[in-house]
Amino acid sequence: MRTERTNFQFGQYRSLAGAVRVLFAALCTTVAVALVAQQPVPAPPQKKSVLITGGTVHVGDGRVIDEGAVGFRDGRIDYVGYAYGVKATYDTIIQVVGQHVYPGIIAADATIGLEEIEAVRASVDVEDIGRLEPEMRTLIAYKADSRVVPTVRSNGVLVAQIAPRGLVISGSSSIVQLDAWDWEHAAVRADDAVHLNWPAAYQRSGWWAEPGETDTEKKDERANKLEELRSFFRKAKAYAQEKAPENVDLRLEAMRGVFNGRKALFVHANAAKEISEAVQFAKAEGVKRLVIVGGYDAWRVADLLRENKVDVVLRRLHSLPMRPEDDIDLPYRLPALLKERGVRFCLGYAGDMEAMGLRNLPFLAGTAAAYGLSAEDALRSITLDAAAVLGVDDRLGSLAVGKEATLIVSAGNVMDMQGNRIVHGYIQGRRIVLDDHHQQMYRLYRQRLEQGQ
Amino acid sequence: MVRYSLLLLLCALFAAPLRAQSTPPRGHVSDAAPVLVAFTNATVHVDARTVLTQATLLVRDGEVVAVGTKVKVPAGAQVRDLKGLHIWPALIEPYSDLGLPADKQDQRKAEVKGARHWNGALRADAHAHTLFQPDAKQSAELRAQGFAMVITHRMDGISRGTSAAVVLSDAPAARAVVRPDVAAHFSFRKGSSLDDYPSSQMGAIALWRQAVMDARWYAAQPQHQETDAVLAALATQLQGRIVVEAGDRNEVLRWVRLLDEFKLPGIVKGTGDEYARLESIRSAGLPLLVPVSFPEAYDVEDPYDAQEVSYARLKHWEMAPRNAQILDTARLVFAFTTHGRKDLKDLWKDMRSMVALGLDSSRAIEAFTTDPARLFGLDDRYGALREGMAANFLITSGHLLAERNIIHEIWVDGKRFVLDDPERIDIKGSYELNLAASIWNLEVTGEGAKLEATVRRASEPDSLKVKARIDRQGSVVSLSFAPKDDPKAITRLSGIIHAGGGLWDGQGQRAGGEWFAWSALRRAGKNGARKATADSTRTVVTEAGPVPQPLVGFGWTELPKQGTVIFRYATVWTNTAQGILRNTDVCIHEGRIKAIGQGLDVHALFPGKKKPEVTEVNATGMHLTCGIIDEHSHIAISRGVNEGAMSVSSQVRIGDVVNPDDINIYRDLAGGVTTVQLLHGSANPIGGQSALIKLRWGQTADSMLIRGAAGHIKFALGENVKQSNWGPGTRFPRSRMGVEQQFYEAFIRAREYEAAKQHWTELRPRDRAGKVPPRIDLQLEALAEILRGERNITCHSYVQSEIDMLMHVADSMGFKVNTFTHILEGYKMARKMQQHGVNASTFSDWWAYKFEVYDAIPYNAALLHMHGVNTGINSDDAEMSRRLNQEAAKAVKYGGVAPEEAWKMVTLNPARMLKLDHRLGTIEPGKDADLVLWSADPLSIAARVERTYVDGVCYFDRATDAARRAWVIAERDRIVRAMMAAKADGAPTRRPRSERQHLWHCEDIGEEGEQHEEHDAH
Repeated sequence: MRTERTNFQFGQYRSLAGAVRVLFAALCTTVAVALVAQQPVPAPPQKKSVLITGGTVHVGDGRVIDEGAVGFRDGRIDYVGYAYGVKATYDTIIQVVGQHVYPGIIAADATIGLEEIEAVRASVDVEDIGRLEPEMRTLIAYKADSRVVPTVRSNGVLVAQIAPRGLVISGSSSIVQLDAWDWEHAAVRADDAVHLNWPAAYQRSGWWAEPGETDTEKKDERANKLEELRSFFRKAKAYAQEKAPENVDLRLEAMRGVFNGRKALFVHANAAKEISEAVQFAKAEGVKRLVIVGGYDAWRVADLLRENKVDVVLRRLHSLPMRPEDDIDLPYRLPALLKERGVRFCLGYAGDMEAMGLRNLPFLAGTAAAYGLSAEDALRSITLDAAAVLGVDDRLGSLAVGKEATLIVSAGNVMDMQGNRIVHGYIQGRRIVLDDHHQQMYRLYRQRLEQGQ
Repeated sequence: MVRYSLLLLLCALFAAPLRAQSTPPRGHVSDAAPVLVAFTNATVHVDARTVLTQATLLVRDGEVVAVGTKVKVPAGAQVRDLKGLHIWPALIEPYSDLGLPADKQDQRKAEVKGARHWNGALRADAHAHTLFQPDAKQSAELRAQGFAMVITHRMDGISRGTSAAVVLSDAPAARAVVRPDVAAHFSFRKGSSLDDYPSSQMGAIALWRQAVMDARWYAAQPQHQETDAVLAALATQLQGRIVVEAGDRNEVLRWVRLLDEFKLPGIVKGTGDEYARLESIRSAGLPLLVPVSFPEAYDVEDPYDAQEVSYARLKHWEMAPRNAQILDTARLVFAFTTHGRKDLKDLWKDMRSMVALGLDSSRAIEAFTTDPARLFGLDDRYGALREGMAANFLITSGHLLAERNIIHEIWVDGKRFVLDDPERIDIKGSYELNLAASIWNLEVTGEGAKLEATVRRASEPDSLKVKARIDRQGSVVSLSFAPKDDPKAITRLSGIIHAGGGLWDGQGQRAGGEWFAWSALRRAGKNGARKATADSTRTVVTEAGPVPQPLVGFGWTELPKQGTVIFRYATVWTNTAQGILRNTDVCIHEGRIKAIGQGLDVHALFPGKKKPEVTEVNATGMHLTCGIIDEHSHIAISRGVNEGAMSVSSQVRIGDVVNPDDINIYRDLAGGVTTVQLLHGSANPIGGQSALIKLRWGQTADSMLIRGAAGHIKFALGENVKQSNWGPGTRFPRSRMGVEQQFYEAFIRAREYEAAKQHWTELRPRDRAGKVPPRIDLQLEALAEILRGERNITCHSYVQSEIDMLMHVADSMGFKVNTFTHILEGYKMARKMQQHGVNASTFSDWWAYKFEVYDAIPYNAALLHMHGVNTGINSDDAEMSRRLNQEAAKAVKYGGVAPEEAWKMVTLNPARMLKLDHRLGTIEPGKDADLVLWSADPLSIAARVERTYVDGVCYFDRATDAARRAWVIAERDRIVRAMMAAKADGAPTRRPRSERQHLWHCEDIGEEGEQHEEHDAH
């Protein structure tokens, strides 16, 4: 067993890729005839036990098992170890020699399924009207048969926390698995967290080359916003003490879980001052569990976060430095900085084009590995630690006996563009169809090529 | 008889300029006698460098009659003894809009249009002297600081008309305006114009350029088809003095280039950051108007807050007061202006701080006197105090730049304005106050009209001191107070101040009504008389540290130089038939690739005695590639990426507005990018001309442009052009149908234009006689270039119908589309594209961000490539641009493109699209040394850039970068400490604000991209 693996050698990889392509093409042609431009059919519950064997097993907690095996039945993992150590018998045995087995990748703070086409308002349900709206539930807007979801799944992302956007308190997120007939079927954990956009500590002025010189004092405005939050949380806390209030208040009902631990509070904040403020606030107002989302400056206040057991969903690593003379690669190094300082974190992809771009989440982890994190720690930031941040690490996030069989097999390093080729995927032991709109269109227009038109 | 002849002589002497000629009829009894005043015993500064002590200035009716140490005071002259005082030429403000209407849009609507230019931003027909109205309040504020004259123009529009020289005498306009049409003024701001065009700086420049050409064409015509007051005025103005307004140092250089294009002289009004582009501004050599206006310090006590202030702002705070001195040392001609100041209150304090930081004090004064006079051709009469010149002057207590100097009087056009009467006796000091029954101590403090006084009984301790009300009118003074122990017992005194101020006396009244005589006698040794301080300004030169190029955090303190380098044992991606070579050496020399091979020998490469200094780079385990070329980028563009107000804007040029200070240039270099095409946005069917630049970080905009590169232009189709996702969508076209017709229309007009020009060239000289050549239309000119195959189209495109359409338009009009960019549905019709011979530059995996990309697939690049279309992968995004190696790797993932071919998609293939593949895109001898050294296979996620070379210059090096990070931290710390010290000294501060750069995207409208909130469509 080794804890670290280096990437494939160049030459070795090419032949592997070739082999995979043959396999893949074979699979495609069989499916193609029947399935042109159709949604992949959600898989039925696992009936037959499966053993995936012979590949490199990345457990998700940092361990790597060369020539390992993962067995699962009834949707749960019952074996993780060396291939030679398998004792039980399995209905299906899949040989994955030279390939890699990983836990299904988990995306925190995503909007997949909530927005189909970003610029078409009719297809977007991420934000409502108001200021403090914890009662807005993303789960019921989740489009299980979105055209976007299968394309994300094809790159190994199998679970996502779908979160609201905008306002001050934007609503409540839910955790879903990405192979479902409807949202109810998709739900892994409904209403897992309330999302709060922390009032910005700094006002913006024009843009750097054209600074706006009128400097209006906004201190009071900000103090008002913080006061608004404080009084809302106090009201909500008092309300939560009553089991059956006479006058039901939808907003305050939605906050109840924040004080009894059933819901986490996800505070979206990037500047060190905002993060520190949020931590103090959560402590003072009796919030049971706080997670910082964004966290650009989290490494600067790492002690505070660690001492208060506050986790971080890091903002999209593939972004520009926030300040003009921040280190040019600072966004890439944030995971390593947090790791060094002992703060638990996972990777997010919020921002422009976040739904369709979510399929690049594995490559963010790859970048983290290129900039100081070990490969297995990088993997952890999109698997086990992501599950832990979301509070579902008892069920998901690593390949461990008893956990749900939500896993993928990739031809190469899943965190590298050239290696990421998902050849098998299972959610709760169900073998998912790894086809999507893009592959279908690819097959369709290859036919035009073949027809020579 | 003798007396009589003397009188005659005097008459002869003064007869000629006896009375100014004036047209208004006189009423009542007129003031016929000329006012002749002799100021004697003064220190007269004839100009900033000529001082006469014990001199006399003889002035009549606002004109200097004589000045010197031996001037005889004629009879009939009023004599003012100015012993101990100084006389200076009054100041000139060269850049003002005093007395002229502001650029308000509501006023604009009411204005009559007349026979004038179609675009409201051109207002050459405005003459300040016809619009000027005296403004008493502003004039008084200016006079208080010593200004007697302003050069004023209406600051509205791109062409602003002419300025007038105006004296601040509060006289009616006809008298106050002393020179009309002093200069013609221009800017890049459209001001109150109600026209949509231009909506960007490149649009403003294009409009200016066309206007200059049109004015000359108009003037050449014997007869006009259209009457245009603006062009007529402009044509005249282009022959005279020109003043242009720049919004920052880079705009100064933009103006330099534009004026040079038309061989026009000019004076450039800058913003005070010229030091940051000193070399290029110096070599341009244009005179400057430099504001005396410095930014306030930031409140940086909180270290987190301090972080939000960029280095550029911190540094500018430090450098702004040094700007003038730096310009002076560089021997640049400049005058000062107060334009841009919040108020004039601390003007002299700022002047003194410049001098304290090393600016020559005479130069400082010249920049407000003789320099503006000379620059504006007024030095025959203004700016100095010589015989025959206007007697606009100041009487001061000391040197103008002395800390305690007081400007007592300012004389403007024969009128005296008293600011602080020098004849008033200073009564500050300590007195023995005798109230008949008791002796008190009186202390008088305060300045000017704001006197304060305290009294106590001489026998009592200081603690029983009470405040007294004191009031003074000339030599009459009154005092009232009550002792501390008896507040009701008010004593009131009234009296006069005797000459010299040492003795006051008069009558007083006690509580109860009793009158008594009182006196106050100044105590010896406490003479409060003001000393006329000489030039007390000290020269304290503090070290400011180097100014990086460009002035941002990662600028160079020393520009990197071209070198001879041999990379040893690298894995070299040649992009040629040689493929990927392992364990190979590459030598670069004089900006080009010299050799490639194993075990390169320096002696064989450079035979002969003169060998260059060779740097050897051990590249074992590393990969060497040519630089990435981003075919679609919007970084490094100033003030607007779209000229979307017109559906055809082929006249605008991104090359006019390249911003060399954009930190994203450096970030791109750190991602291995060496060349980018800066594209116009996609708001209209025919956009603007591209700029092809190499990322020569630290150089000016001009030096980044690739010399000799072919012309390119942006076209666009689909949702952005239709204005589907923002705004009212009221501009034509609003459907794909309209887009097609717009293209036909544009190219048919261009064809006619070409024909007309052709016809002219074919005319025999005698047939041309009396005719004017056809008007040059820069919009059609660019389209004609496309028709001639001299300009290459990059067309923003998404869906197959529109792609097909443009190829049909091109085929039928006889031109070729060079590149479809984005081209996300290219895969649906790749063969047709291949047959048309068009290139494809696409995104690796973007889709679903708007309706027209719902069928976009990441296999697009692979499918296009399979069909033989030259395919590239671009960014259109400042962030993704620095990871294009990762994006190329996605072509391997989606569709199985061979790695070497995928790599070409971000190097050689875009080089072909940009017609630069003869210089860029492969590693072979003779090509440009634009190279990137990677830590690993560039297509792997592990790859990091170690070094980036452009033209053999190492612009990014991971090791150097680390050192510069440390440097930035230290520099910031140094300046932050200086700011804190300034705050402690009582300097005003402002709250830090975060700076988040606006990143241009295809469909951003306006100069700051704020018109619509969606900023993520492409």
